[in-house]
Amino acid sequence: MSAHPRELLPLAAAGALEADEQAQVAAHLAECEACAREAAAWGRLATGLSELKAPRPSRTLVARTVEAVEARLAARAERAWNRAALGFLIAFAWTLALLSWVVVDLVAGGLALRLERPLGPTAAWYAAYVVAGWLAAGVAAAFAGRRAQEQGRIA
Amino acid sequence: MDPDRDDAARLRRGDSEGLAGLMQRHQDRLFRYLLRLTGDEAMAEDVFQQTWLQVAERISRYDAARPFAPWLFRVARNLALDQLRRVRPESLEETGETAAPAGTGHDPLASAVAGERSSRLVNAVAALAPLDREVLALRFETELELKQLAHTLGVPLPTAKARLYRALTRLRERLIAYAPAEEWQ
Repeated sequence: MSAHPRELLPLAAAGALEADEQAQVAAHLAECEACAREAAAWGRLATGLSELKAPRPSRTLVARTVEAVEARLAARAERAWNRAALGFLIAFAWTLALLSWVVVDLVAGGLALRLERPLGPTAAWYAAYVVAGWLAAGVAAAFAGRRAQEQGRIA
Repeated sequence: MDPDRDDAARLRRGDSEGLAGLMQRHQDRLFRYLLRLTGDEAMAEDVFQQTWLQVAERISRYDAARPFAPWLFRVARNLALDQLRRVRPESLEETGETAAPAGTGHDPLASAVAGERSSRLVNAVAALAPLDREVLALRFETELELKQLAHTLGVPLPTAKARLYRALTRLRERLIAYAPAEEWQ
């Protein structure tokens, strides 16, 4: 008779042995009554565990969870849309800013010609124009954000 | 085609129908697992909701080449262990005289219906350490394969088997102590 594989019996009952171990246990149980009784006891325990009836989640819990997740998904979609819109606006603003260089250069050059006197470096005027534009946009964004925050708080 | 992968892809696109499919297939066993692990119905409900919220948030991190269930159970496990550590700073491997989940053993009517034997088994499981309850729930109540069980626990397969062995022997010792004449002998 092979050595008693007592340590393998709980795992055999739990279906957690490799095929070769399972075969080794089965061969031993066929010739060892004591181990067969022990294996049967472990088997009853495993069956009892498999048949335990735990409560299912209540309908209220499931409904509450679905509602919370849908709200989270909606918030995520809104954040994604806001990021996309902001990205587009920034790209658009920079395109306008770069194009306006040409306009500023033309206007400043034309005006200088008409007045027959220099108006200073065009680049400085242009930089001042861009900074003023971004400052105005920044202030507007801050006001809009604050207002949205207040509305959210009220709602 | 794996329905979990389809639904995970839909959820990734922000479609709540994807969530509905995933919940329908996994909510019962997830809740059973959380109930056994935490040993507390209110905590299990809380973690259940947080788990699905995290699934919605982190679905882009889910590797669709792997099964969904172990990933889901791992998210749930991390949340549950965080909660358990907050309310029970001592080791999760120590036993506590945790009450059995409501409606599964202490109610006389439920006990009569379910049978004394089953009731004793539920109480013995509830009195085990959280990590012992966890491995038993994963093996016997969630239908996860062994490899998936090990993945959920974040340990190699032999370690998962060792934990399963330890939990089973501890459970049987308890049952024999409660009712020496019963069939657990």
